[in-house]
This record gives sequence, C-alpha cells and structure tokens, in this order.
Amino acid sequence: MAQKGMSRRDFLKTVGMTGIGLAAAGLSGCATPQAPAATPTAAGPTKTEELKLLLISHFVAGYDDWIKKFAMEWGEANGVRVTVDFINNLDVSARGAAEVAAQKGHDIVQWDQAVSSPFLWKNHTVDLSELVAEVESEYGEFSAVGKQAGYDATTGTWFSLPIFYMAFPALYRKDLWDEIGIEPDTWDDVLEGGRKLKEMGNPIGIPISHGSDGNVNWRGLIWSFGGAIQDEEQNVVINSPEVVEAVKFARALYKEAMTEEVLAWDDTGNNRFIASGKGSWIINPISAYRSTQNSDPELADKIFVWKPPQGPKARLMGVTPHSWTIWKFAENQVNAMEFMRHFVANYRVCFETSGGYNFPMNPGWLPQPMPILSNDPTSNPPDKLAVLQTAPEWSVAFGYPGPSSPAIGEVVSTYIIPDMIAQAATDQLTPEEAVAWAEEQIKRIFQKWQT
Amino acid sequence: MTATAQRRGSPRLSYLLDRTEVLGPMLMAPAILYMVVLLGFPFLLAIYFSLTDVTINNIQLGFSFVGVKNFAALFRDAIFRQALRNTLIFAISSQLLAMILGQTTALVLMRNFRGKTLVRVLILLPWAVPIALGVLGWKWMFDSLYSIINWTLRALHILGPGQWPQWLGTPTLAMISIIVVHAWKSFPFIAVIIMGAIGAIPQDIIDAAKVDGAGFWRQTFQINLPIVAPIVSVGVIFGTVFAFTDMSVVWLLTKGGPINSTHVLGSYAFQVGIVSGDIGQGAAISLFLVPILMLAMVLTLRAMRRREL
Repeated sequence: MAQKGMSRRDFLKTVGMTGIGLAAAGLSGCATPQAPAATPTAAGPTKTEELKLLLISHFVAGYDDWIKKFAMEWGEANGVRVTVDFINNLDVSARGAAEVAAQKGHDIVQWDQAVSSPFLWKNHTVDLSELVAEVESEYGEFSAVGKQAGYDATTGTWFSLPIFYMAFPALYRKDLWDEIGIEPDTWDDVLEGGRKLKEMGNPIGIPISHGSDGNVNWRGLIWSFGGAIQDEEQNVVINSPEVVEAVKFARALYKEAMTEEVLAWDDTGNNRFIASGKGSWIINPISAYRSTQNSDPELADKIFVWKPPQGPKARLMGVTPHSWTIWKFAENQVNAMEFMRHFVANYRVCFETSGGYNFPMNPGWLPQPMPILSNDPTSNPPDKLAVLQTAPEWSVAFGYPGPSSPAIGEVVSTYIIPDMIAQAATDQLTPEEAVAWAEEQIKRIFQKWQT
Repeated sequence: MTATAQRRGSPRLSYLLDRTEVLGPMLMAPAILYMVVLLGFPFLLAIYFSLTDVTINNIQLGFSFVGVKNFAALFRDAIFRQALRNTLIFAISSQLLAMILGQTTALVLMRNFRGKTLVRVLILLPWAVPIALGVLGWKWMFDSLYSIINWTLRALHILGPGQWPQWLGTPTLAMISIIVVHAWKSFPFIAVIIMGAIGAIPQDIIDAAKVDGAGFWRQTFQINLPIVAPIVSVGVIFGTVFAFTDMSVVWLLTKGGPINSTHVLGSYAFQVGIVSGDIGQGAAISLFLVPILMLAMVLTLRAMRRREL
C-alpha cells in the first residue's frame, strides 16, 4: 500500500533531530538549526559551486590564516565559493549534533579525537573508502594511528580521512637534568630524576585532570607497563596486575616528583609550567616548546625533546588524532572530496606551517628526513627536534591495542583514566581500588554501547 | 494621524483592540508561542528521548523504547549521585551567597555618595558581561601557577612559604570556586531587584519608623524585608532555577573535575548526552530535577500569593 504523508516514525525522527539541534545549539551557544537540505539524488552527489569547512582552531599562530588562504586559493582556481569557519575542539560535538539535527551545515568537519570521536557519527558520514584507496595507492598505507582514527573494522569502511596527529614527546630542561646527571629515558629515570629535581624546586608535571593531555599521558604510562583498557577483541582488560603496577608508579610519581598543581591543569597547564622556568619535564606536543621560543628564547634553548619514557614492557605514548569527515547530507560532497585530495597533495606545506606539529597520518605524505624536524633553523642545535621523526614507532591511538569505537570515545570524554590516577595519587582509593573503580565505569560504558 | 482618525479608518479593528479579551491574548501570543516552540517542544522531546535508547549513532537508523531504564541506570551511576549532590550544594550555596551580596550591595547603593553611578555600572558588569568572558577572568585568578588570589594572600602573610592552594585542583576548593563565581555572576541581578523593591516602599512608612526610633537593623529586618519579600522571592525563584540548571560556570572552569567532584546535573547531562552521544541517558539526567523544581516553584509561588493577600 502506498504510504500517504509522513509515518509516525518519520515524524518522530524529524522532530527528534530538530530537538537535538535546539538542545545542542542552546548548550553550545553557537549553532542554529536550519531547514533540512535536499538529499543527494540516486545518481550520486553532483558538482556544486560551494564548499563549507568547519576546522578546529590550531594552537600554532598563523596556521588558521594559512589554511583559510589555502582553501580560498583552491576555491578561486576551481570556481568554488569557499567558507572556512573555525571552532574550538571542545565545541565540535555540540556543533555536530546541531548540524546532524538540521541535516544542513558544513561539508567538511574536522574532529580532534582527544575530545570527541567521529566514530560516534559514522552513520552520518560519507564512506571515504574510495578516496582512501586512491590515497593509499599513491602514497602507501596509512599508519596504525591513521587506521584507528578513520577505519571502522566492523563495516570495513573509512568514515573519516585521517589527516594528522599530534605526537607527545617528552620535553625536558637539559640543563637541570645534566646537573643531576640523569637522562630521562625510562620511567624509572623520570621518577628518580624527578624526585631530585622537585627538591631543587623544579618538579616534573603530568596533568591529573580533565583535559586531553592527562588522557594521553597516563595511557602512555599504562601501555608502557604492559597494560591496556581493552584488548584487540574489545574486551575490557583494565583490571590487570600491569595496570595496578602502572597506577602505583603514577602515585609515586605524583607524590615524589610533582606538586599539587597538576590536579588543576587544563591543556595549557603543562605548557605554562615548562615556560615558567619552574617545570623540568613534561610530555606534550612541541607547542609547549614553540610558545616558549616566542616568550623566552633563552629558556627555550634549554628545553630539549626526547622520546616518551621506556617502560618495563614498551615505549608507547598516546596521540591526539585529527581527521576530516563529510556529512552524508552535505550539499557539496564532490568539492569536499576534491579539496581533500588537494590537501593531501600539498601536505608538506601544512606540516611546515604547523612548525612540525601536524604529524602526517600517512608516512608517504612526508618521507624522511622531514622538513623542519631534521633541520630547524630556529632551534639550537638545529637538529633538536630530529628525534620526533621516530614518533610513528611510539605513537598509538586511544583504543590501542584494539580499535576505536564509540565506547572508547566515551571513556576518553569522561576522563576515567586521569580520574583513576587522581584517586590513587591523592589517597582517596588504593591503586587496586582505583583500578577496580575504573573497570566498573568502563564496563558500564562498553555494555551500554554493545546493547 | 490622530487616534480619532485611526478609529475612523478601521472601526472594526479599533473595536477589537479596545476589548481586553482580544488585546490581552494578542499581546501574550508571541511569548506563548516562544515558550511552546523553544521550551515546551524540547521539554516534551526530552521526556520522549529519556524513555528510549537513542544515541547520536542510531538516531537515523531507528531506536527503541526502553521505559525507565535510563532513569534506573542513573541510580547505579556514582558520578550521577555525586552530580546530584553537587547540584543541590551549588544551587543553594550560590543563591545564599548571592542573596547576601545582593542585599548588601542594594543597601550600599541606596545611599548617596560620590561616584555612585560609576559604582552601579561596575557592579552590574558581572551580570552584563558574557559568562565565558567573566569565567575566563576567574580562571586566571584561580590559575595553578599565577593565581592573583594566592599572590595577594601571600603578600598579606596569610599564606606561608610552601602554601599555594590549588583552587581548581582539589575537590573542596574547586566546589567553593564554582559557587563563588556563580554567586558573583548572580548577585547584581538580586541587588537590582532589591533596590527596585526598596525604592517602592512608601516614604511615610520609613518616616514613621524613624520617628518611632527604629534603627538600621530594625528598619531592615522588620520593615524593609517583609515589604520587599514577595518581589525578592521572584528574583530568588529565577536565581534558584537558573542555578539548578546552569552548567556554564562548571564546564568553563573545571569541566566537572577534579575527579568529577564539581559536576552538576547540567554539565554531566551535556557530557553524557552531547559529548559522548548518549542522548537518551543525557535527557534522563537533565530531566531528573524537573519534578522537584516544579514542586518547589509551586510552593514558593503559593506562599507569595498568600503574603500578598
């Protein structure tokens, strides 16, 4: 029987999406739902004269101006009117909810998986498998981090195009560590040296707070001790002797080598800590070093870069993967794909403009020796950042050793790992109890997303 | 064109506009429409969502009715219980503090002194500036490394060597911080309402009190407060409801940390429903206080009406 008008389910879906849009717009204060867009025709998306990008504001000064100009120039060359909007990484989820609700908005949206996982939105994004295959045939396979950031193993499709990640090396005050005669290469070195440096008034710092850095850093410690949140089959395995040992070590690090301030840091806390001259060691993208170069070049000369510490089982550290998605309802899908191709083909400029900050998700985009990192004229010595070229060896994404998933995304966004460390470090719970607490929280989330 | 000429031009319209039963609903219509579309509809939708397993992921694929499962799950969630406790503490404490500050400010501003206009403008600023801007300033004042509050306390020798409170890093101090910031944001509103109410007290009552020898305290507590109470109650209701539902101060200052010790229901609902994409659960969290708030509002409004009578 032919269906007349709108079914009850369709009606609820429509009003539901509008309602979420209103809620998200109200909460984020930045988005207003608009009228639904026409869906793509059965013949597929058609070429249009517009392209709208929603990009995350970059930490590095000048990068936003560059990418806007880059997109505009591409638009002019191709007869496409380009709009580039910038947004704080924390606001992308709310904006995404509003756009999905309105079925209208930007064509390309950038995601920072340290705060919001595009995995959650995979049912609303275009399958980019063809584009990825094309990129891989030209440049080789995406890195493991890239695959975790964009590939959905359950459907065998790419829901986003991984573009770059921010590697988290150790940044340390070489003058101070030389003074105590220790090189911070292993976690034991960091504890031993940190203890001495704290006595000298120069503690180390890892955020134990609600922010991306804490989420990334403490996962690195857990992996280095042989622990993990989930295994390859997505079973929750956090309650293990390895994780308990890692938490005990974190507690010792906090008590013996850090000060209480790490409990209060947001994502700029450790940057300011090292830039103040007080901090002696942090794990952070090189933005902390770059900003110190601007504010205090003399101090920046004393800050050196090394791999994240080697643990009893491994040397691993988390990253913050960034990727681009195209909405299924996007009106300019053809242009969006073409712009993605153009971006990949010019990745070197992106990397250089970011000051060596945006690590390529595909090693083929930027073969070694990498510009800037292998020879940075602003650094003293110029090869100070060369060790960063080893980042693919020790960088993994949040779900490691399993895939990313909505559940992993929620574990990240609810800061369970930093909270687990905080409770043990401040003696609210024993390390064993803290791990059991985290297991309960994580299992509840996994269970929720499985049903 | 004069009113007479207008009436001549459209006698029927003029007749209708003169009738209160027509003009009243016409003037009320935009407000009612606004409430239905932007408040009533999302509210009903939130109730519907809270009874389903809808997430960002499945919203277009279809979702199922799950009854009160989302609400039942909340009671097993320790973070929710903490957020509920925090909401009560946050709302009540910040309102009390805002009331004290508002009342004091109003009494000061009722007096004449040089620069009064400037002081009035400055005091209204916290209420007038965008919340994000205000909170950014507080964030710097609470900074772990450069806190001006700590520097001042140290300069006054209140903090000794090695003492450096982490306002946003320890649960109790973080809770105090968000309460103080919310009270700072709210008190000008209460001060303005109290000033308006006190200004409306008939002068003969004040004069009679003075003649009878009533001092400051007696005049404040036995004359001013009872008279202004119904008006101030409206401000308190608004402020309380706002405090119970606000999430901006918490989200901008602590994001619920440390260890979820400052999450309120609003921030937790946002985190679960929007950031984590579990819309059904998020809706259940955000709706949790509605019955209690509605009951409190009905009781307060009823009490006010009795006083007026």
